[in-house]
Amino acid sequence: MLIEKNISKYSHHFNHYTELRVQENRGTQIMLTNGDVTGNGSSAQSGVSARVFKDGNWGFSSNPEINDESIAQVVNSSIENVKFMNKKDSSRCGLILPETVGEIDVDFSTNKNRENQKFWVEFAKEIDGYIEKKHTKLISRNVSIRSLDMEKTLTTSDGSNAYSMIPRSFLFIMVAVEKNGAPIELYEIFGGLGQKEDNLLSPSDYFAKIDNLIDRLNQKANGVFPKAGIKDVVLDADLAGILAHEAIGHTTEADFVLGGSIAGDFLNERVASPLVTLVDYANTCMNETCPVPVYVDDEGTQSKDVVIIKDGILKKFMHNKESAKHFDSQPDGNARAYAFSDEPLIRMRNTAFLPGNNSLDEMIGSIDDGYYLTQSSNGQADSTSEFMFGIMMGYEIKNGKIGSAIQETTISGVAFDVLKTIDMISSEMKWSSGGMCGKKQIIPVGMGGPAIKCKLNIGGR
Amino acid sequence: MNRSEIADYCLEKLKEKGIEKANCNVSFSEKKELNVEADRMSLFRTTFNANIGISVIQNQKKGSLSINKTDKESINKAVDDVILMANSSHSDSAHDISPFQPKGEFQKGEKFADMENMYLRLEEFVEYVKDIHPTINLEAAIIDYNQSISYFKNSNGVNYKTRVGMYGFGPMFTAKDGKDTSSFNYSGMSMLKLDKPLVEKGSIKRLLKQSTEQVRTTSIPSKFKGKILVSPDCISDFLNFIISDISDGQIISGKSIYMDKLEHQITSNNFSLHSKPVSNQITDGYFLTGDGFLAEDLTIIDKGVLKSHLLSLYGANKTGRTRAINDGGAYIIDPGNKKYEEIIKGIDKGVLLERFSGGSPSSSGEFSGVAKNSYFIENGEVKYPISETMISGNISELFKNIIAVSKDQIDFGYCILPWVAFDGVTIS
Repeated sequence: MLIEKNISKYSHHFNHYTELRVQENRGTQIMLTNGDVTGNGSSAQSGVSARVFKDGNWGFSSNPEINDESIAQVVNSSIENVKFMNKKDSSRCGLILPETVGEIDVDFSTNKNRENQKFWVEFAKEIDGYIEKKHTKLISRNVSIRSLDMEKTLTTSDGSNAYSMIPRSFLFIMVAVEKNGAPIELYEIFGGLGQKEDNLLSPSDYFAKIDNLIDRLNQKANGVFPKAGIKDVVLDADLAGILAHEAIGHTTEADFVLGGSIAGDFLNERVASPLVTLVDYANTCMNETCPVPVYVDDEGTQSKDVVIIKDGILKKFMHNKESAKHFDSQPDGNARAYAFSDEPLIRMRNTAFLPGNNSLDEMIGSIDDGYYLTQSSNGQADSTSEFMFGIMMGYEIKNGKIGSAIQETTISGVAFDVLKTIDMISSEMKWSSGGMCGKKQIIPVGMGGPAIKCKLNIGGR
Repeated sequence: MNRSEIADYCLEKLKEKGIEKANCNVSFSEKKELNVEADRMSLFRTTFNANIGISVIQNQKKGSLSINKTDKESINKAVDDVILMANSSHSDSAHDISPFQPKGEFQKGEKFADMENMYLRLEEFVEYVKDIHPTINLEAAIIDYNQSISYFKNSNGVNYKTRVGMYGFGPMFTAKDGKDTSSFNYSGMSMLKLDKPLVEKGSIKRLLKQSTEQVRTTSIPSKFKGKILVSPDCISDFLNFIISDISDGQIISGKSIYMDKLEHQITSNNFSLHSKPVSNQITDGYFLTGDGFLAEDLTIIDKGVLKSHLLSLYGANKTGRTRAINDGGAYIIDPGNKKYEEIIKGIDKGVLLERFSGGSPSSSGEFSGVAKNSYFIENGEVKYPISETMISGNISELFKNIIAVSKDQIDFGYCILPWVAFDGVTIS
């Protein structure tokens, strides 16, 4: 523990609604490119911030120093900032935010001895050495190990006190072969919640997984161009997760709804097949801790799951205190900030479709001419719910059987139309959490789900 | 210890511990920021930060570290940690630091934020949108002032100080008419002064008007191979493929398709690209490279011929090629000889591409993605805003099929870009 677990002693500085947060983000990175150590570094950013709400306006201030003086200074500076705003606009004078009280003390630090950077450089080197020796036809190899510890303490004028240390760590492997003079590449990310010592146990654990990755890369290098058009597809969990997050999740964030998202018109209406239930989990799903657990958010609200779509009906948006007040709803702990110097924004936590009753084999067997898409490269969505995902890996489905691998492509559709075409959902639930969600700030999120079968537009030739 | 002495203190401590080569970059930043959310200005932020970035090369092993504390105890620990980090690495003869250069001090922009003017300009913008485009929802708009003072020093005697004060503005918006909703759109720009209404800057006025037209869209008639005219807001999405492919990562890993293309034609001869971080043309440039050289303006592509990769000192040493004289960015594409309207007139069938939501292109340049906030062009006229339209092709091939570059350019502050028309794109 590097920061104080309880900072409520500073609440005597509060005159208005106030959040006071002390936070440190610590990251490490090792990167090997074709065996050379091209990245070897660490960073630590810590400080204190305060946010004050009065008469409909907010003031925020942050300082990298953490001491009695700087804490008093950020609170006072936030008060001065909100006064500046209130002098300019007093139209919401008297507005009061919903009161919430949350308490948590949670620490996901490893219980094992911490290994030093040299240990992890050698860990990566051993993996790289395995790839170099066994897979000689590759034109390039990238092996990297990254970690991020987010440790924070919050106290609010509502009486919330929260301490959390949420780490995550990943092994990232990217390989490339040459085909017809052009590079073809594929990557895989291993890891998730926890520090490196808990997530990355032995280089040899990954050897079979690397062989499998390179088998798939070779299939992809010999892959065919998909045929463009509206197709029946099975989206594996990786893609179902990104669909849940990008295409539905973002459109149902209340700030996005206020900004004109199409989801604003659909509350309590059917937006998906009755098979579809979609939840933004706070911290626990099916008795297991989610990849990005949030117990008390950065406004001090105790986190609860948000059931966004229940049996195909759009039931709820994700809120912070201010939007909950606007929509006459309740905040559920979605207000999250990335760094000490960031204000909380409405963010997802762990967004996933709920599993169904079908097996993956049944789903593939039900398609005569379509695609099984297994890995995405990136994804973007829109206020209209139109989405686009890059497809890094996938296969043709011909007469109910997996066929040739396909080359990289893009899929798109209007999410609230695509969700209505879902007619099968697998029973297996998988999570991924390797990426960051970008809004005004970046933030770690979890995405997950089963495989889903639907119709959407696939790019190709 | 005052601010200017911190880097000296770090280097001295490293020297005491026998370190051969080290860089130390100490910076202090201050941000003042006003935020609009849901059509209303509601948040004022002030943030301060510090950063000490230390890179150490010992026995050709390199380690890097950054912290945001400037007290002696934190610095002493950082010095020990970064040495451990370097010792944990493997030696690589390509690691180096910049050689001695004469001491320099550079500055740009105002020293203090003009808060009253920031508020007035943002309020004026919100009112403009309400009055002129009542169907527009301003989801977010941010005006900020950032001041950064940096001291870059290294063990070869490099000693540079820079101070930059810069305003930035970025709105994000959607038009909504009844239940009809446009795609969201956004733009951004940098400014030294807030001397004009924000709506007059960059491409904002055009994009706002377009959004109001885009609440009702139509699908294109059928799949075809045609032309796309890519707007200044969108051209970077395509340019970034070339930029990434001529930079360290792709060249060092051997995946770049432009690896051996120096002095070769890689685009049509009507295309020239410069990176001009120190030019007066660019408001928001930079003075130094990340590895401690004075930045200079660079021509990357001259009339279609690749003149330079964008390799750092490490990348150049590693690949035996030439170090670029800057870090890229601050891009200027030379204007062409036709007005935007003339280019439209010359397109029989195609798409005016205003925003592109695409998958990351493959290393070979294959790409596909959705045309957002875009329009169908037929018989030399912009016909209607389109929906659910996918465009695909190969970016490398696309740049060899440039049919026109516009005379008109948009100045975003951090780059100056025209409209660029390409042929041979699959539109479906």
